[in-house]
Amino acid sequence: MSLLRHELRLLLRQRLTVIALALLALLTVGALAVGMAEIGRQRAAIAAIPAAQSEDIGAVADYVDRTKDAGSAAYYSFHPTWDAPAPLAFAALGMRDVSPFILRVRALGLEAQIYDGDTFNPELALPGRFDFAFVLVFLAPLFVIALFHDLVSGEREAGRQRTLDALPNGGRALWRRRTALRLMLLWAVLGVPFIVASAIAGVAAATIVIVLALILAYLLFWVGLAALVGRLRWSSVTNAATLAAAWLVLVLIVPTLANVAINAAIPVNQGAEIALAQREAVNGAWDIPREDTMQRFYARHPQWADSPPLGPEFHYKWYLAFHQNGDESVAESARAYRAGLEARDAAGRALGWVLPSVGVQALLTRLAQTDLTAQLAYQDRVRAFHQRLRNFYYGYLFRDQPFARADFDRAPRFEETPDG
Amino acid sequence: MSILRLIARDELRLMARNRVAMIALVLLVLLTLVAVASSWAHQRSIAELRDRHAHAAETAFDAQPDRHPHRMVHYGTFIFRPLGPLAAFDPGVDAFTGNSMFLEGHRQNTANFGDVRQSSLLVRFGQLTPAFVLQVVTPLLLIFLGYGALARETEHGTLRLLMLQGASRGQVVLGKLLALGAVALLAGVPAMIGLIFISGQSGALALPMLMIALGYAAYLAFWAVLILLVSAAVRRSRDALLALVALWAVTVVLLPRVASDVASAAVPLTNRFQTDVAIARDLRTIGDSHNPDDPHFAAFKQSVLDRYGVSSVEDLPVNYQGVVAVEGERLTSSLFNRYAANSFAAQARQNGLVEAAALLSPAIALRSLSMAAAGTDFAGHRRFLEQAEAYRYVLVQRLNQLQADAVTYADDTASDAGADRRKRIAAGNWQAMPDFHFVAPDSTVLAAGALPGLAVVLGWLAAAALLLVLAARRLGARR
Repeated sequence: MSLLRHELRLLLRQRLTVIALALLALLTVGALAVGMAEIGRQRAAIAAIPAAQSEDIGAVADYVDRTKDAGSAAYYSFHPTWDAPAPLAFAALGMRDVSPFILRVRALGLEAQIYDGDTFNPELALPGRFDFAFVLVFLAPLFVIALFHDLVSGEREAGRQRTLDALPNGGRALWRRRTALRLMLLWAVLGVPFIVASAIAGVAAATIVIVLALILAYLLFWVGLAALVGRLRWSSVTNAATLAAAWLVLVLIVPTLANVAINAAIPVNQGAEIALAQREAVNGAWDIPREDTMQRFYARHPQWADSPPLGPEFHYKWYLAFHQNGDESVAESARAYRAGLEARDAAGRALGWVLPSVGVQALLTRLAQTDLTAQLAYQDRVRAFHQRLRNFYYGYLFRDQPFARADFDRAPRFEETPDG
Repeated sequence: MSILRLIARDELRLMARNRVAMIALVLLVLLTLVAVASSWAHQRSIAELRDRHAHAAETAFDAQPDRHPHRMVHYGTFIFRPLGPLAAFDPGVDAFTGNSMFLEGHRQNTANFGDVRQSSLLVRFGQLTPAFVLQVVTPLLLIFLGYGALARETEHGTLRLLMLQGASRGQVVLGKLLALGAVALLAGVPAMIGLIFISGQSGALALPMLMIALGYAAYLAFWAVLILLVSAAVRRSRDALLALVALWAVTVVLLPRVASDVASAAVPLTNRFQTDVAIARDLRTIGDSHNPDDPHFAAFKQSVLDRYGVSSVEDLPVNYQGVVAVEGERLTSSLFNRYAANSFAAQARQNGLVEAAALLSPAIALRSLSMAAAGTDFAGHRRFLEQAEAYRYVLVQRLNQLQADAVTYADDTASDAGADRRKRIAAGNWQAMPDFHFVAPDSTVLAAGALPGLAVVLGWLAAAALLLVLAARRLGARR
């Protein structure tokens, strides 16, 4: 123990080490603060939904209440959905800055609504966010390099290596001690602020433990790499250059190359095709006999088939039916589109098994529920909610029930459950 | 002069003997070539795909049957943002913005299907483009090759030998700078050849290409000067390397992200939900075309009746429903434009903050320069959105006007069995509608957008050069 304390004193006498550790601590705390502030803003935006929504829907109710027309209610009512951030989201913002976490939908065709985005500044999204995941994945290895590149070579160059090897408790035990000490310091500098932030954010203890283990594992990878390079007995400066080059390749170049390769290997072009085809199907309904539309709809949704036949005048049940027909006509493309996205995502994560930088990022965004999987899960919740919305309005339209002010309060409300 | 050349040649020979450095240089050139090729292929395929989709959308619009004009307002049209040739060099925000947009009446939709939501998590690690290689990777290579240029000489005491042989401090520094500059040139040239190759077909872009070439040359020159500056200022080459890698990490990797986060925290954007609710609120206070007692539309109706000198809408020579549609679209669009302008202004303020951070990081300045010259920055996306909205408005209003002129009020309000047929107008009207053509900015506009960034990069170069002159005077003095 006293040996370790002695080593610590030695280590903290080096200006480079002290500056590096202080800087990393500063960056970690800064990134955690930035992430928590961003998630705080997102929570505030979600918390502001009910007030604005009740004002908006109140105005629709005022208008619809004059005619009691359920079709107008369905057409003019937008219903909010939201994707509340998970407790750990502050540590890895993932896609939450470019994908919507609030989306309003109405009971019309969902395929024309679900891919909509929110307002964001693309120039700010371009460089990526300054979050804890960035500090860990991109910056922490540089600090490992700064602290470890001259672990042995520095002593050799100072002419002390032989002496140190000859000491009792010297040699391997000494290098192990020094390695462990530096590693523990880096781990603490990253981990302690993270624990504090997680405690504030209410992250589950098990998740905190997993992230701490992840931090340690990632640091160990870089320490191991530094030790490997150190065994080549090059000079400190060559070690540093080699390690920095390895960092460049592993953290920047290979991921970007892989991104090009994945996007070329798995083309995903269905997005625009879904949008174009859905529009054709929906608008085409105005040019075909309305009975054809209804038959097609009733064949798939027999529970409404006993609805009275259409008269000569416009009826919203026909309008909503062709919207749903439109969605169903592109369901296959929508599935293919989603499968393409999942395939790209899976390929990216598969790379994480061999590339620690990608693996850590993938695992952190998964734990933080800010990755594509979480986005698609949100879309599933929106779809389930939209289905409930349709059934709700259909209950009035296909049974020719009047829709009064009180009925607005009966509309389904989005819930944070898998069924929307 | 010959001393200069001698020192430069010596330094280059030393670099050439460094096998790791040579491998790195070759890899960099290869990486640049891969980036040029893949970026070019990507740009071509995207441009072709969007062109094909745009064509399909135009054909579909023209092929619509006889319809009520208002059906066409809802049928709307899809437009796709074309990608300029320089986007193959620096695609900028292209992957981060949606590139297809549905234009219809009453609504302003978002641009959807951007790459960033359609790619694996790797897309956030950066995109392999010639711009990325030159902005991020090349400076690090220069650091590896040049950190020891002066520090090594001071550390080993060989600087004195050089000076004993008659070389002045200035000549030593300048000679080393020449050598590193030559390497920088070598590293930058493949990307520049790629740039010319990429956009060689359009000579119209000569000016922005010149800005890009100047900007990147100044940026790499800045790094060469900075490397020698640090190498001159510290006593050990290891310290020079660590300091330079730290400077690189802070200016190239860290600050762009921090600046973005500071900007987004300092200037919050109103989200779409709140904007939509606010627009609906404003619309209610202006006038509600659904409400027969609404004061705005009552006054509007009276003004239309007065204009034609009749006493009821049935007597109007135009279809009053169409006239109301024109007025309604005018009102909603003016609100869309006002809120869009507010959002654009807020985003411009955010970008202004990031550009102010260019005073801390030349990489940020170069990035703005590069994207602005390539037309792939926020301003470029905004150009697309504004032209899209202008086109949407004209298209919808022409259709509304058709409703006013070509469909009679009696038919439009009828609901008998044959009414649907009488409300429809000839399909030829749709073909007469103009297609959307994105008007690309001319090259002077692009070049002008790149000027502030170029000024900052040149400022950085000048400052570093000045410091290097000062450091050169004191080179080896402490020993």
